[in-house]
Amino acid sequence: MSRTTIARRELGSLSREKTIVLAILIQLIIAGFSSFLVVGLTSLYDPGGGGEEIQVAVTGEAADELIAAGNEVEGLNPVEYRDRSNARDGFDRGDAAAIAIAEHRDGRIDVSVEAPQSSLQKTLVVVRLRAALEQLERSERRDRAAHLDFDPIPLPPSVDASPYFGFTYTILVPLLVFLPVFISGAVVVDSVTEEVERGTLELLRVTPASLVEIVEGKAGVMAVLAPLQLLLWVVLLGFNGIAISNVVALVVLTMAVAVVAVVFAAGLAVTIPVRQRAQLTYSFGALAAFAAATALPEHPGTTVALLAIDSPTLTTYAHVAGYVAVAAVAAVALRFGLDRIDAERLG
Amino acid sequence: MRPRKLLRIARWEATKGVGGLDRGAVAVAVAATAFVLAVSVAVAGGGVALEDGIYRVGVSEDSRLHDPIAADSSFAVVEPDPTVIESGTLPADSQYDLYIEERGDETTLYLAAEGGAPTDKSRAAVATLRESVDRYNDRRMYEEDNETAAFPVTVTIRYVERGFDAGGDGGGGGSDDGGDSGGTGTGGTDGGSTGGGSVGDSGETTDDDSIGAPSLGAFDLFGTTESTGSPSDISPPFPFQSLVLAFLFVLPLNFVIQAYGSSMLSERLNRRGELLLVAPVSPAEIVFGKTLPYLAAALAITAAVVAGLWALGGEAGPLSVLAVLPLALLFLATTFLGSMFARSFKELTFVTVTASTVLTSYAFVPAIFTQTSPVALVSPLTVAVRDLTGAGVTAGEFVFATGPVTLVAGVCFLLGLGVYREEDLFTQRPVHLKALDALAGRIRRPRSLLLVVALLVPFVFVAELLAVALLFALPVAVSVPLVFAIIAVIEELAKGLPIYAGYVHGRYDRSMAVAVVVGAAAGVGFFLAEKVSLAVQLVGLPGLEVADAAFQTGLGTRDPAIIALLAVAPLALHVVTSTLSALGASRDRTGFAVGLVGAIAVHLVYNLAVVSRLV
Repeated sequence: MSRTTIARRELGSLSREKTIVLAILIQLIIAGFSSFLVVGLTSLYDPGGGGEEIQVAVTGEAADELIAAGNEVEGLNPVEYRDRSNARDGFDRGDAAAIAIAEHRDGRIDVSVEAPQSSLQKTLVVVRLRAALEQLERSERRDRAAHLDFDPIPLPPSVDASPYFGFTYTILVPLLVFLPVFISGAVVVDSVTEEVERGTLELLRVTPASLVEIVEGKAGVMAVLAPLQLLLWVVLLGFNGIAISNVVALVVLTMAVAVVAVVFAAGLAVTIPVRQRAQLTYSFGALAAFAAATALPEHPGTTVALLAIDSPTLTTYAHVAGYVAVAAVAAVALRFGLDRIDAERLG
Repeated sequence: MRPRKLLRIARWEATKGVGGLDRGAVAVAVAATAFVLAVSVAVAGGGVALEDGIYRVGVSEDSRLHDPIAADSSFAVVEPDPTVIESGTLPADSQYDLYIEERGDETTLYLAAEGGAPTDKSRAAVATLRESVDRYNDRRMYEEDNETAAFPVTVTIRYVERGFDAGGDGGGGGSDDGGDSGGTGTGGTDGGSTGGGSVGDSGETTDDDSIGAPSLGAFDLFGTTESTGSPSDISPPFPFQSLVLAFLFVLPLNFVIQAYGSSMLSERLNRRGELLLVAPVSPAEIVFGKTLPYLAAALAITAAVVAGLWALGGEAGPLSVLAVLPLALLFLATTFLGSMFARSFKELTFVTVTASTVLTSYAFVPAIFTQTSPVALVSPLTVAVRDLTGAGVTAGEFVFATGPVTLVAGVCFLLGLGVYREEDLFTQRPVHLKALDALAGRIRRPRSLLLVVALLVPFVFVAELLAVALLFALPVAVSVPLVFAIIAVIEELAKGLPIYAGYVHGRYDRSMAVAVVVGAAAGVGFFLAEKVSLAVQLVGLPGLEVADAAFQTGLGTRDPAIIALLAVAPLALHVVTSTLSALGASRDRTGFAVGLVGAIAVHLVYNLAVVSRLV
């Protein structure tokens, strides 16, 4: 009974201090930050996107081949110039965004490209030129197929696909799952060490609540908050047209990882009841665990991505079951550990 | 401030925080070592491949596409079951996103479809497949004996200034710049578009290939002046690697501020600070003495990172350390302010995490555009990235990148120092009231508003620069009105909040005449400080329409009348709008809200009507 009282009190203080609002704000910033990153990166990278055509001055003996290849690339307009100085003039006047000089040399086509040093479009120019040059390479390889042992595999057709698709599920969703988990543990460290440092733990001990109940009440409420935040994100992402699959499995996974995190945090807080050190150990420890998880057959981040994108395998579910088992063991171990601790020593 | 006292406090803080080898210190050391070990194991193992098996493809072993699919870890190969496509389409709820059917010479791709249209996921899978087939072809070509046929096209790319003759014939394959001009090593980036280049590729292709310029290992992406190779070796001028390295500078700051905030807040929670306050030292000496060790730690870590990069062959130097210094100060300053406002450790955790996410995005996001846009110079990290790439910065650019950040850090410390006294340190009030206390701490008379509002202008400046940096990528038709709206909100808040703080703390009579004086003082203060922002035009931002809209100097028009008008008109605007806020604030909280909204509306109308027509 006193466990729920403590949990309720903990929740009350979180909402009074508006820390829950701050927590969601942090995650909104991260989500906004990542989606901005995506837009920024893909607008720099995506050769198809960004409508306007880029004119490139082409000259040299192999200009015809390059122009033929360039015409097949979307957003590129190769224009033949008579010679190098003509192309240079066009470039300096701003008629052409770049110069490409294609020559036959030692049985190859040697293309030398000059792109503007200081231009917002520089990346776009280079990306589209690269597409044209790769096209040229493919067609040249076809012509020389007799000299090759391996016949290059024809490319699948290009389709209109969102460049953000993979990123959303492999970076953004795992981030939004693990951030609340990480914060939950950090709050448990704060909440326990604060009671110790302020001397209020002693007062709590006067009540019929045992140390086990106090810590479990505090840790329990934080372990429940993490999956609730996940559900909020699932709804918000849904509004943005990003469907999240296997929500139940994701909630179970988040819950299990959150339990492991808060147990680790609570254990640390009673072992080192100094906020500064406990918090530092917690951050390093949590990051170390996340990095060490690469040794698992499937990284927890990958598990989240596979569940959210709806490509889970048996291995994925086995991992989820594994986390649940670890969480159960950790919770029992914390209880035993707390029973053996001399609560008076904590002060 | 007396240096000896300051140093003594610094020594005390350092020994108390670090000294003594108790259980806590050992635990921190063990956890830190575990972290370093785990990260190096993860890096050695090729990093975290989060996209493993996200697309499920049905493809049989004898298909031509099987090998490229098996080689790309983002595909999971599922044993094909021909019955799923008997109806001619692949239903979305089958176990495949993509199904490859091969009959004789003909390969058919089935995309998982729902309601007649292919799903987003299956289309993304095809786009990924296209890239991996391309990469697979290239890899197989490296095994060919006939190099001319395998790589029939070589490319040399160089970046030149328009209207400047690059000299040379450009076909020499990088010979005139020598090896260290940084040709993109063959295979090192895998075209860069997926970001998932596997480590194995670069190992097997760099040695036996004679086309590419000599690879410089991890640092070959730094050179963006010229590169040579086959078409797929061209990497667009995007400083990804430098960005990742620059992130190394920001990451440790997050740990440093955690310890710092903790130490500052425990002074308040345990009332230990009370003893310090009665000692014969000034609050400024206490605060800076306690800050010094953390600043030193942040700089030491940065210097170590720079030294490490330098030893590995990077170009990082003292300039990077200098660029990180203002960032470190800003992290510490916001944490200090946060620990002065927070009521508990829990709240402090959220305040520091919020501060570090906001500041990390402020430092990191603009730096992405280091090589594509001058707007990147908003962030000091851009200076570090440029230093890493060996590009260098001018003195003016350095001041532009670091100046506002340093000013904001200074103002944060100043505001925090204002509440570093007994009656504020040991009282518990919600964060927003504490913030108003901090503002009111500097207000005595109506005219002191002039100074307080002027002090807030660096915040305004940084916030507006961030808005410009975030929005410049959008089309001008969208970004300029958005920037106008954001600016109206930011500027009116900067003028209105000190006014409101003054009224809440009963600094002024609640009469109309006083309200007008107060409003005028705030308006004039803002106007004077804003003119400092003319510096923007002197450095990097001209040419960006968004920036011109944000800082509205009219220099772009070259018409003296307009420039003069735009120099004076804002004075009238600021006085009018802040008087609106002041009149509202002189009533009550709702009145202030109404006044503020009115002021924002007037400001927005002015921006849209006057500025956008003239500039």
